[in-house]
Amino acid sequence: MSSEMKKAKRHLQTTKKMKEMLPRFFMRMMERRESDPVAWCMVGVPPELLKAFNVLWEWPENFGTLCAANMAAPRFIEVAEGEGYSPELCSYVTNTLGYCRLYLEHGEPPPETPPTGGMTRPSMMLGSGFACDPRWKWFQAVGTRYFKVPVYSSDPLSPPWDMDINDPRIKEHYLDLLRRDFQGQVNFLEEQTGKKLDTKALREILKLSQEALWYWREVLKMRSHVPSPMGSTDYFSAIIPQMYMVGEQEAVDFYREMYEEVKEKTKKREGIVDEEKYRLIWFGLPPWYNLGMFNYLEEHGAVVVYESTYNVGEWIDLDPDDPLEALVQRTWERTALMHRYGTETMPELCNPAVFGGFTGSRLLNELKEEYQLDGAIMHQTRSCRVMSFGQIHTRNRLSELGIPSLIFESDMADPRHWSDAQVKNRVHAFLETINKDSNS
Amino acid sequence: MNALKGLSRAREISQNREKRPFELREEGKTIIGYLCCFAPPEIIHAAGAVPYRITGRLGDSTSEVDSFLEPYGCPYVRNVFSQSLKGRLDFLQGLVISHSCDMVQRLYGIWTYYRPLPYSRLVNVPHQLFPWSQDFYQRELVFFKESLENYCGVTIDHEALKESISLYNRIRCSLQELYRLRGGKQPLLLSSELMEVLIAGEVLPPEEFLELLNEVIEEAGARKQPVNYGTRVLVWGSILDHPQLYRLIEKAGGQVVADDTCLGTRFWNQEVPAAGDPYESLKEHYLVNFQCPRTDRGTDPGRFAYLRDMARDFQAEGIIGYTISFCDPHKLDYPDLRDYLEKCGYPMLLIDDDYSLQNEGAITTRIQAFTEMLSGQA
Repeated sequence: MSSEMKKAKRHLQTTKKMKEMLPRFFMRMMERRESDPVAWCMVGVPPELLKAFNVLWEWPENFGTLCAANMAAPRFIEVAEGEGYSPELCSYVTNTLGYCRLYLEHGEPPPETPPTGGMTRPSMMLGSGFACDPRWKWFQAVGTRYFKVPVYSSDPLSPPWDMDINDPRIKEHYLDLLRRDFQGQVNFLEEQTGKKLDTKALREILKLSQEALWYWREVLKMRSHVPSPMGSTDYFSAIIPQMYMVGEQEAVDFYREMYEEVKEKTKKREGIVDEEKYRLIWFGLPPWYNLGMFNYLEEHGAVVVYESTYNVGEWIDLDPDDPLEALVQRTWERTALMHRYGTETMPELCNPAVFGGFTGSRLLNELKEEYQLDGAIMHQTRSCRVMSFGQIHTRNRLSELGIPSLIFESDMADPRHWSDAQVKNRVHAFLETINKDSNS
Repeated sequence: MNALKGLSRAREISQNREKRPFELREEGKTIIGYLCCFAPPEIIHAAGAVPYRITGRLGDSTSEVDSFLEPYGCPYVRNVFSQSLKGRLDFLQGLVISHSCDMVQRLYGIWTYYRPLPYSRLVNVPHQLFPWSQDFYQRELVFFKESLENYCGVTIDHEALKESISLYNRIRCSLQELYRLRGGKQPLLLSSELMEVLIAGEVLPPEEFLELLNEVIEEAGARKQPVNYGTRVLVWGSILDHPQLYRLIEKAGGQVVADDTCLGTRFWNQEVPAAGDPYESLKEHYLVNFQCPRTDRGTDPGRFAYLRDMARDFQAEGIIGYTISFCDPHKLDYPDLRDYLEKCGYPMLLIDDDYSLQNEGAITTRIQAFTEMLSGQA
């Protein structure tokens, strides 16, 4: 399982400084009082809403990436497999289930827990049906087997790719579900915390959230410059505030600083490699335990300039006057945006948080020109079919645009499926293909 | 007309599932294929079309789909799509896929992109049972009905839909009779036989299926001797649309006396209420009552009580679970279900398969050991 690609080098000063920011992100749990409610949350729960209730949270998906990066995941996954969970299941899920089992045995985070700390016992869980089935089955399993606490799983649905979403009846049909589901989530939080939703606070939080996301989007757009001022190791580090901290001043400061740094680099035409030979687009989840893979690509002049995963997409204007409705509208508008790009491969993209997976056929045409793409790399994750399913279709569409693709297989959190030699071989062969294509 | 009757006819249809639909197409019928249980065939029937449940072919090669679907996709979804690519479903004028699970939902996009049909529809289905989720599904059924009206050029009023519901209810009644013949103290029908009948039901127009059912009831009811004295087991799991697993169980000394599978009990177990708004009735049956782990029924292990009751009612001695590779909803429920049933006194054996049952010898040995263990315990 040992790999030369375990260590990842970031290029931006801002993301290097995350080492200082992240402990604060994780350690805030240490300051909690025993009686404070703690919510385990699934991505798809708007962090803004949690912030408005001032609820302490844990994010098992994020914890999965941390355990993967710290090589704690294999142990937790094996424990879950011992309980009867299939090795085919999402490794984030089995990582959590194994952790829960050990937590209950020890009465505290087990010794294998990464140094950033373990997840504390939940008093409630907020699941989400956004993206895939395992993301709500996960909390159902935790709630049945380990921590018997109340669960609310939101269930936003997206229209299929061939549906006319401009039909007002269809739009209202989906909005009704979304709006009442949001309200259900608020009612649940009110019940669990004994507090009413503070609309005024949510309004201010939304403003901060919009501000942070504005800087973040601008950063990502600047990567269309040649050479690209930023790569994937910075991207996959910098998504953490977007996923869990929007609505906080800290996130605004972080993305503003990043924006200034990337702007400066762009102005100076400063790339991240000496000679940028290949500009790539990335599809799928990254191998969190081997993010150095991106540095390996960079050593060969290949820079990833766009990632379809966790992408915030385009700017969406919000009217924060009714902040709950603003959250509903933001969710719908992003869903509609992705729908216009084509969602034949990834239909479950209605995410009440602030990002999505941008892969549509029509979008690829735009990205090819805007980002001057030479090739695509797709990570087929064995235990996450949802992020992998559709990659062959995307490869077919890219091939029509003259963009070659490499599909390679491993996992996002379980390093047992990784092989350095195989990945290197595939990467070399792929880069040669791009060379041949551009020579012919 | 077909010379075969009853069980022989059911077997013939289940082995040659495309024959009758191609004939019907020749006769000028509109055939609409549907996949998974959340797009009610009653609505397709009320539109004057023939509902055809799309099934796979166990163990069939799926190499054709490699240009469109990932190897780590659900093997059932791959298998089903390969039937289309092989041209075996060319009689279909329409395709309805419901959002039952991730993979089935995603198949819709790929299928309609690469193999577009004159009519296609995704019926979206919430995972939750909140009031707003139920309202959404009920509206979704009405939109589905409207799209069929447009395509078929008909109006589906409440009366027409209720007639279809009543026809399907008659089928449900007859099937329950067959379930009693299979699961009684002296079983007069093998599960593998019943499965062939169920498969015929996916293929035939409901009127023809009802006729076939009556023949089978007469035939099995006339048997003087029980067909099997094997260890009584209940089967739970992912899709089963072939009789092979039941045959293996029978060969290994078991008799499946009850099942919790989507072509079987889940679909046919109770009648759709005939009174009131038919869309509300269909919603109750297909969303609220339909026991697929893709729907959230909370964290209380009591959500599995219906299985304990079924095992008790049919005097099952143990449970055999059957899961298909990558079937997240079933696989995530399995440890909780196993523990619950074991607490209730029902041991459980899990067979994990890639929709091929290729490893027949090993599977039979495991089932044999399980049935022997159960009978030793009894």
